[in-house]
Amino acid sequence: MIRLGGTRLVTIGLLAVALVGLWQALRLESWGFDGPGPGFFPQLMAGICVVLALVVLAFPGRAGETEGGDTQETERSPETNRTFAIYAVTLGVLAAGAMYAGFTVTTVAVTVLIMRFAERRSWLASIGYGVACAAVGLVCFGWLLRVDLPEGPIERQFYMLVR
Amino acid sequence: MEGLLGGFATTLSLDNLFYCFVGVLLGTVVGILPGLGPLTTIAILLPITFKMDVTSAIIMLSGIYYGVAYGGTVTSVLMRIPGEASSVVTCLDGYEMARKGRAGAALGIAGIGSFVAGTVGVIGISFLSPPLAELVLKFGPAEYAMMMLAGLCMVTYMSSGSLLRALLMAAFGLLLGTIGSDPLNMTPRLTFDIMALGDGVNLVPLAIGLFGISEVLFMARQKPDDMKVLPPPSRLLGFMPSREEAKRSVGPVLRGTFMGFLVGLLPGGGAVLASFLSYGLERKVSKRPEEFGKGAVEGLAGPESANNAGTAGAFVPLLCMGIPANAVTALLLGAFIIHGVTPGPTILERQPEIFWGVVASMYIGNVMLLILNLPLIGLFVRILDIPRAYLAPMILSVCLIGVYSSNGNPADVVIAVVFGFVGYVLRRFGFDLGIVILAYVLGPIFERSVRQALAISDGDPTIFFHSTLSTSFAIVAAVLLVAGLWPRRIGSPG
Repeated sequence: MIRLGGTRLVTIGLLAVALVGLWQALRLESWGFDGPGPGFFPQLMAGICVVLALVVLAFPGRAGETEGGDTQETERSPETNRTFAIYAVTLGVLAAGAMYAGFTVTTVAVTVLIMRFAERRSWLASIGYGVACAAVGLVCFGWLLRVDLPEGPIERQFYMLVR
Repeated sequence: MEGLLGGFATTLSLDNLFYCFVGVLLGTVVGILPGLGPLTTIAILLPITFKMDVTSAIIMLSGIYYGVAYGGTVTSVLMRIPGEASSVVTCLDGYEMARKGRAGAALGIAGIGSFVAGTVGVIGISFLSPPLAELVLKFGPAEYAMMMLAGLCMVTYMSSGSLLRALLMAAFGLLLGTIGSDPLNMTPRLTFDIMALGDGVNLVPLAIGLFGISEVLFMARQKPDDMKVLPPPSRLLGFMPSREEAKRSVGPVLRGTFMGFLVGLLPGGGAVLASFLSYGLERKVSKRPEEFGKGAVEGLAGPESANNAGTAGAFVPLLCMGIPANAVTALLLGAFIIHGVTPGPTILERQPEIFWGVVASMYIGNVMLLILNLPLIGLFVRILDIPRAYLAPMILSVCLIGVYSSNGNPADVVIAVVFGFVGYVLRRFGFDLGIVILAYVLGPIFERSVRQALAISDGDPTIFFHSTLSTSFAIVAAVLLVAGLWPRRIGSPG
């Protein structure tokens, strides 16, 4: 029986993505009156992805070796798992915050989550650093450099005051 | 030679020296800061140049363009956040060098290598522009398509790890590049009716997700004690590369410069392809291939030089043929036209002072960049002293600003986070992420070339073998694939 190592599991994920891509690509016209249509290249690429994923599934290679030796596997203690989980949740907050809360709230929330809950720093340090990061971003980038930042109520009020 | 001397006379005027300095300074800052790409900066500054002398305006705008290549290295080395696609390779070994306490040396090697490459590239522009321009004109869609294919095959062949996995990553990069509107007739493709995917997956969220955000997840998996980096040296000279590092850099810088300039001549992602090819070449010729990805000096010096020589090379099709190599040079072309200059084969006859003025300013701009950047290295490397608790939120804020500001679209942040997780998983199991970016960047050009060639030939695929050039590239691609897929290498780590 084939053992489902990490590489094979990742490849199955890639195969699924390729199959979905192929299914979508097949709905496009592959050839028109003036030559290859919009579906030609996506169909070709998705097909190649499917074939290559199947071959990698058959010959996955040695597990564990990675680009740049990135996986110096540390022992996964419960503490490490907990830290990783909080960082992962923080990324979700980052994405949701950019959509709905604006730059300042998101930056403070991300900083507090990481510093207070993942790294166990004091509330004061966490909030203070979060506010400092948000202020630097808002003033330097949002106001002085006029870089687009995710807008929420705080940004709108701030821009009304300074612009 | 006379033209070049005349160019120096133009550039060494006080006004032009000032604008050249402003350009390279702005370029460096823009390269380091998230959010402001060279495209935005040149677009913002373009109206300011309307009342300036045409040569001064072009000198300043060009300075921004090549200054950004220097600045982008800093974030790649210190935070693993590539400022642009051609800096992606710098992340691999530059960042690992930084974690070993050699951040100063890494930035020094990158700075000096970039200076050498930029200068040699400019010399190349000075003397080789007319014949090279003619050569590039021989490239039709079929030649382009086969060249892109050969380039992709070469990079996957030279990658570490399993060739099959590298090929799979290349195919996925190409597939990712097809998401969004069809480049020829704007039909939406693979968008799953999601509005945010209408314009496709943008490069900035993809690169920042795969490299910057996935790095934060890797940081989270390590114990704080394992993350400590060696302290950077406190003396200014300590930031310079050691004798051994300097010796190891010479070959890669020269090879990267030569390859970068030639590949940079080709419109569309030349500098990106050059940096990847240089990395692969250095790994193949290195006596210590096992060090690659773990802080190999050659893995930093070669691609950094190739990327800068490629940036210089991109000026040849722009100045001599009026063909922009990428979006930024397209904007520069717009600036030329707004100022009443039409780049092309006749520029050397009609407005030589502008052509040679710009070329000479690039020599001087490269010297300015070196003088400007080396003393600042000591300041930059202090970032590495920051503990994870403070560094991680800072990196995420930088990513948030960089991703959102690239398009003003919050969905890009979601895409970056998704690719952050994808990048983390792929990196853990030995899939090469750099190839995804390369294939993604080359994908649209590759597709356009393939489709145009097939449209010209009415669907006859033998068009790819009609000319000697395209046949040669096809043979190179086939040989690399066969050599790479030789049974001993299938699935092996390489």
